[in-house]
Amino acid sequence: MELEKISYDNKIVKAFIIATVIFGLVGMSVGLLAAIQLFYPIANFDLQYTSFGRIRPLHTNAIIFAFVGNAMFVGVYYSMQRLLKTRMFSDLLSWIHFWGWQLIILAAAISLPLGMTSSKEYAELEWPIDIAITIIWVVFGWNMIGTILKRREKHMYVAIWFYIATFVTVAVLHIVNSFAIPVTMFKSYSWYAGVQDALVQWWYGHNAVAFFLTTPFLGLMYYFLPKAANRPVYSYRLSIVHFWSLIFIYIWAGPHHLLYTALPDWAQSLGVVFSIMLIAPSWGGMLNGLLTLRGAWDRVREDPVLKFMVVAVTAYGMATLEGPLLSLKNVNAIAHFTDWIIAHVHVGGLGWNGFLTFGMLYWIIPRMWGTKLYSTKLANLHFWIGTLGIMFYALPLYIAGVVQSLMWKEFTADGFLQYQNFLETTTQILPMYMLRAVGGTLYLTGVIIMTYNLIKTAYAGKFIANEEAEVAPMVKNASSGGHWHHVLEAKPVMFTVLALVAILIGGAIEMVPTFLIKSNVPTIASVKPYTPLELHGRDIYIREGCVGCHSQMVRPFRSEVQRYDPTNGEYSKAGEYVYDHPFLWGSKRTGPDLQRVGAKYADSWHYRHMLTPGDVSNGSIMPAYPWLYEQLIDKELTPKMIAALRTVGVPYEEGYEEMANDELDKQAARISENLGMEGYEVVKEAEIVALIAYLQRLGTDIKADKVAEK
Amino acid sequence: MKKVKAIFAMMLFSFGAFAQSSNANEGAIWDDPILLFYITAGFMFVVALLVIVVALYMLQVLRYLAKDAAMERAKKAGVEFVEEPSWWAKLNQKLYGYVPIEKEETIMLDHNYDGIRELDNHLPPWWKWLFIGSIIWGVFYLIAYHVTSSLPLQIDEYQNEVAVAEEQIRKLKAANPGAVIDENTVMLATDATALADGKETFNNICSSCHRVDGGGDIGPNLTDQYWKHGGSIKDVFTIVKNGVPNTNMVAWGGALSPEKMQNVSSYLLTLQGTNPPNAKAPEGDLYVPEAKEPVVSDTIKTQASL
Repeated sequence: MELEKISYDNKIVKAFIIATVIFGLVGMSVGLLAAIQLFYPIANFDLQYTSFGRIRPLHTNAIIFAFVGNAMFVGVYYSMQRLLKTRMFSDLLSWIHFWGWQLIILAAAISLPLGMTSSKEYAELEWPIDIAITIIWVVFGWNMIGTILKRREKHMYVAIWFYIATFVTVAVLHIVNSFAIPVTMFKSYSWYAGVQDALVQWWYGHNAVAFFLTTPFLGLMYYFLPKAANRPVYSYRLSIVHFWSLIFIYIWAGPHHLLYTALPDWAQSLGVVFSIMLIAPSWGGMLNGLLTLRGAWDRVREDPVLKFMVVAVTAYGMATLEGPLLSLKNVNAIAHFTDWIIAHVHVGGLGWNGFLTFGMLYWIIPRMWGTKLYSTKLANLHFWIGTLGIMFYALPLYIAGVVQSLMWKEFTADGFLQYQNFLETTTQILPMYMLRAVGGTLYLTGVIIMTYNLIKTAYAGKFIANEEAEVAPMVKNASSGGHWHHVLEAKPVMFTVLALVAILIGGAIEMVPTFLIKSNVPTIASVKPYTPLELHGRDIYIREGCVGCHSQMVRPFRSEVQRYDPTNGEYSKAGEYVYDHPFLWGSKRTGPDLQRVGAKYADSWHYRHMLTPGDVSNGSIMPAYPWLYEQLIDKELTPKMIAALRTVGVPYEEGYEEMANDELDKQAARISENLGMEGYEVVKEAEIVALIAYLQRLGTDIKADKVAEK
Repeated sequence: MKKVKAIFAMMLFSFGAFAQSSNANEGAIWDDPILLFYITAGFMFVVALLVIVVALYMLQVLRYLAKDAAMERAKKAGVEFVEEPSWWAKLNQKLYGYVPIEKEETIMLDHNYDGIRELDNHLPPWWKWLFIGSIIWGVFYLIAYHVTSSLPLQIDEYQNEVAVAEEQIRKLKAANPGAVIDENTVMLATDATALADGKETFNNICSSCHRVDGGGDIGPNLTDQYWKHGGSIKDVFTIVKNGVPNTNMVAWGGALSPEKMQNVSSYLLTLQGTNPPNAKAPEGDLYVPEAKEPVVSDTIKTQASL
């Protein structure tokens, strides 16, 4: 058999490595800033571009899509060429992918601080960027499938299976969840409303974790861990079973983000049971990783690469056990909306994604530059400081989450809340927030040390842009008999189609009935669409990222009904959200729930509170919003907003656009007069007026009429 | 709940003490019995940890000595020393059923991907049963909630929770018969405990709009003699309880117990005539107390009796 001479493209890998390290540093620094803002509100700088509500999505997007995304591409581009014994399908597509992805990140870095956001978590970017993401993702997939088709290795290794699942699922998730009706170039409303929007969003959000942070990294683990350990993979059978069960079951688990909400019970229950069923498939990956190290544990003690990988895989195992346990309703009732969840995701993010990335970089860079790692000592230092950072990050937040949740729920014997003032429960956990920032600082320090070490390594060696290799051509007609799955591994198109089918089933079974069967969202006659002024206010609420800290979902618990609606005793109903494009239920309560805040205070309270929160609520950690008092709403947008919302099903009468601004003026004048009487002079077009209008409307419709189920 | 928190704090002593210490800002920090408890519990926890560490170390030493003796014996008997596998290794063998490393060539597949080879070990038995078990559990879960309705869905759960709480409160009231405090029976509390409780509520909740010194900000000045809705204890109590519609005054009747409302109303009336700096201008009408206010004779046992 004649050997062919080919070369692997290392240049593209190098580009993605640089992007990974830079965006890792940036994303973590932004995260640290957000962490500091939570106990030191001055760090919001009273500037709209740096206030917490806009910084938080910047952090999550930078980490998920810029840091982890680029790291994923490093591993995929490096391993795929070698596993398939071919150069990438097209260098041009590789570079379009690289620069396209970085431009998207740049667009995100500009648009998020400017307040352009859809408010849907991890899908905040506005519609033009969403389209760009779709195009670049297709370029990536095209390049990948092309590479697979021109492979010289007849069968696809398990890492490739995970890459395929990643590509198809992320494409489906992104497209379905991003459906929106544009209002302007930078503003759109979600196609779905209320309960349905929530279901789609958390089907997406949960599976972004599954198929952007998990499956590609399992692929990387399957390549880099056996390579670094120089050991055979423990069990091929386990790979097959855990791969298919993982991708099939994961997609069902989204509703566990919506337990005890207005989502129908049956969908919640599906979320619970599929989350529990997910323990074993997830652990299959961890076991296959750790058991591959059998016989190599003595080397783990010395080799920083293996150390990072062991902690990464262990963190993966912990997070994927904790996740299903958090999906049990009784645990969720305590943990949801608290910092426990923040701790949980950071065990996964810092431990699994971060450490696997670091291990991979320490392994890959000496090889690509044909040298040895500059300093094993520094790598070990990075390892310990990073591990310590994870602990200092997670442990205080676990405590904070449980303490705060118990305080929320504590009653006095005579049936009143022990901690009536929400703020008491916040100030109680501020020390934990400070410790968390210490943890974050440690972790970031480790990454800075790594950056130095890697740069030094690269300078000591010589970059091999095109790595020569001699490979045998694919044997076309060799019998591919044997195990049925082994046969399938030689049929990439068939494989891709089957993976697609596996991931479509769960989503379809949960979504179709929620959309089509009316009883899933009982309507309430007194719930009416928002007025034009309230719509503007709602857009401001979205722009400022209020949803990052305030939920709009009073769960059916005695403690929540008592806290948020002591007078009427109404928990949140599905019918209240039918005009909410997008839904704003939130996932974290750093501040109190706002679903019943309407008509609770007078306009002047909100006016004062948004200007100087710390003065009104002594010790509050909420940022101030002084710019809302100077900026004016754009009334020219009103007709477009009404028209767009009508397109997605909000029943504004035909021609309402024409009179919408008159109504807006009237309502705004009422509010500014109200404020004027109390001595607060404000122009009626000021943004604060619109925001007050929206806040005063929140959750009040249900009071107008008792629930009337149609 | 207290118990849960205490246990929690015991386990994580250092953080627990940190979180709680803000309670102790009045008076010397060592006077706080809870803090003392945490410190004692934390100390015991650390000691327990040390004992475990030492015990483990001793075990290790014993094992080493035993092994040494066994080697000696083997040497004397002239046979090769074979180390007994540890219980951990045996347990793992049982749980995973893997082929030992020395024999792994027998299950090596002919796969070779860029030098990566694959073994064909069995699925770990415990893992397999975990998976099957979780699926069976899932089926039972769905049946219990949605087919046989043996377990309550969230709204039923909520209604049960409320019913249980109401029953408890009803029993408590039955066991502690006393005058019901409402708009008609409310009286001015004068003893220190009640006023301290009122002050705590005032600083915690009311000060947001009326300032800590009662000088008024978003809400009116409470230290002058001018009142928008009357200045008797009954008037004040009524406003605290029901609020004033379309103003910033929230109705607290659902959130604060009648005793607490009586205490806070009494406390804020003690602020009369204190003349704090930068107080808000008077609003409403001059109120002159007509006669002596009815005064509570006994200490209000808000917390003690419950």
